[in-house]
Amino acid sequence: MSLASLSSASRDRSIGWLSARRVPPTVALSFMIIALVIAWSLAPGLFTSHSPIVGVPAEKLLSPSAAHWFGTDHLGRDLYARVVYGTASSVASSLIAVVIAAVSGGLIGLLAGFLGGWVDIVLARLVDVLLAIPNFLLAVIVVTAIGFDTTNAAIATGVSAVAVFARVMRSEVIKTRQAVFVEAAFLMGGSRWHILLRHVLPNASRSVLPLAVLQFGLSILVIASLAFLGYGDPPPASDWGLLISIGKDYLKWPWLVYAPAFVTIATVLSVNRISRWLRKTD
Amino acid sequence: MRGAYLSYAAKRFAQAVVVILLAYVFTFVVVSILPGDPITNVLRDPQNGFSEDQIRQIIAAQGLDRPIPVQLWTSLSNFVTGDLGLSMRSSRPVTTLIAEVLPSTLTLASAAFAIALLLALTIGYGTQFLPKRFGQGLLRGFPSLFLSVPNFVIGLALIHIFGFQLGLFRVIAPDSFWATFFAAIALGVPISARITEVLIANLDKESEQEYAAVARSRGLGPARLFARHLLKPSSLPVVTVIALAIGELLGGSLITETVFGRTGIGSLVQRSVSTQDLPVLQAVVSLAAVVFVLVNLIADLVYPLLDPRVKLIGGQGVRPTTADDSATATSAAVTS
Repeated sequence: MSLASLSSASRDRSIGWLSARRVPPTVALSFMIIALVIAWSLAPGLFTSHSPIVGVPAEKLLSPSAAHWFGTDHLGRDLYARVVYGTASSVASSLIAVVIAAVSGGLIGLLAGFLGGWVDIVLARLVDVLLAIPNFLLAVIVVTAIGFDTTNAAIATGVSAVAVFARVMRSEVIKTRQAVFVEAAFLMGGSRWHILLRHVLPNASRSVLPLAVLQFGLSILVIASLAFLGYGDPPPASDWGLLISIGKDYLKWPWLVYAPAFVTIATVLSVNRISRWLRKTD
Repeated sequence: MRGAYLSYAAKRFAQAVVVILLAYVFTFVVVSILPGDPITNVLRDPQNGFSEDQIRQIIAAQGLDRPIPVQLWTSLSNFVTGDLGLSMRSSRPVTTLIAEVLPSTLTLASAAFAIALLLALTIGYGTQFLPKRFGQGLLRGFPSLFLSVPNFVIGLALIHIFGFQLGLFRVIAPDSFWATFFAAIALGVPISARITEVLIANLDKESEQEYAAVARSRGLGPARLFARHLLKPSSLPVVTVIALAIGELLGGSLITETVFGRTGIGSLVQRSVSTQDLPVLQAVVSLAAVVFVLVNLIADLVYPLLDPRVKLIGGQGVRPTTADDSATATSAAVTS
């Protein structure tokens, strides 16, 4: 009896929180920015008629104008088109990073928290090691080890974030494991794996969502930094970090830095705002 | 109590040593799965002019033909005795290479750290005492903003405005005062985000306490209230975050040094990455882990001494306000 009511109450709440809470205007704006960024990465051709690779040499280094929103670069390429076409790899790679981090970190945390004992001790040391190496340095040596391109940069970024997810997941699992309904499930003869998958995992992963969103924003920054240092795809790719890195050699034409930087900052800021809102409404 | 503290300290110390050794092994494994063979690539470089026989001799002399576990053991025991090996590119001891560039990075990192603290204190003060409708909301948004701006963008913007437009410093003289100052800002701003976040949260909590109300009703001005009463209890949890920030300073210096053209640990790493100088990479990463683990160890050991409320339960320190380090480390932006 009590089991049924508990689980239905939690379901009601999970459906309820989207409609019950009014979305603050800044969060709505953030969602719009993210929607635009996703649209850019899915169908860049719809947003610009310029080519991101072939430039018009006569139109090089033009200031931003109605024809070229972000101006043009040293080869006469439209910078707005470069940013739009670079979105796919900048954003998709951050998604890869978050998925890697959340899945493997989540698995580590789940096993450590649920099994306890020596599994917990061994995994805890592994997590300590991953935490001990500064995040960005860890991403750099992993990407060095597996080779410079954007996908590898994403994998490296993911690896550097595994520890965070593992820790949060572990503490959530331990919290959930002590809940009354888990104890009840045990008493009713539920097998360990059944309880792990049906009761503990769904409940513990709720707090992972805001973290994943936040990590998505951080991953965009880390991948942009790796691209900035030249550890991503080489030109003519146009990852945001790479665009900024190319732009830094042309400081007389500052929009080459500021335009892609503005897009990056707006995206990450929106992601952070959404993450904070998710955390509050949870 | 004293005995409990000692056993807690001993346990934490042993844990720290294990983590440092494991971090070394981890780095070794990651670095040795490098594709291709950077070692023979260097030796076969026609500029070096070694014959095949010489190459084989060198590899044997360095013990590089032995199985990986044996190499790991040799390398680990050297590491424990403080021998970090030779750079593959310059054949100089890695310790010398690091010692050469360390002062520059230390200067940058400590300046950045000071700036981060100053920023955190200023913003923290503002969030308590500025008028609610004017300024406070803006200040509370700052940590989130700081966390969203890549530090190379801050660096480039500072170079553009102060170096390029105002001519305050020249990028070709990266060690001048102003260049160091602005590099420290670029490095310090993202670091300050997390510190500020935690400080604000704790200041909010403390200013609602009764003692704060009493102090206010006795007519204490905002500055004295902040400095005398609110700051001390609020800054205790910040100790944990500060220890975590040290790692970020090291990682961030990689980019800041590149942007400002400084030589330092960061640029050493970057050079070693492009030349695949494995011993240097291995050494820097392990040293970073050592620094990080030690700083955190000190923070953990000092904490119970600073805060008498901390109870040592079963040899484990329990910090009252920061439940989970990882939560403060990465989701600082979402704590509200």
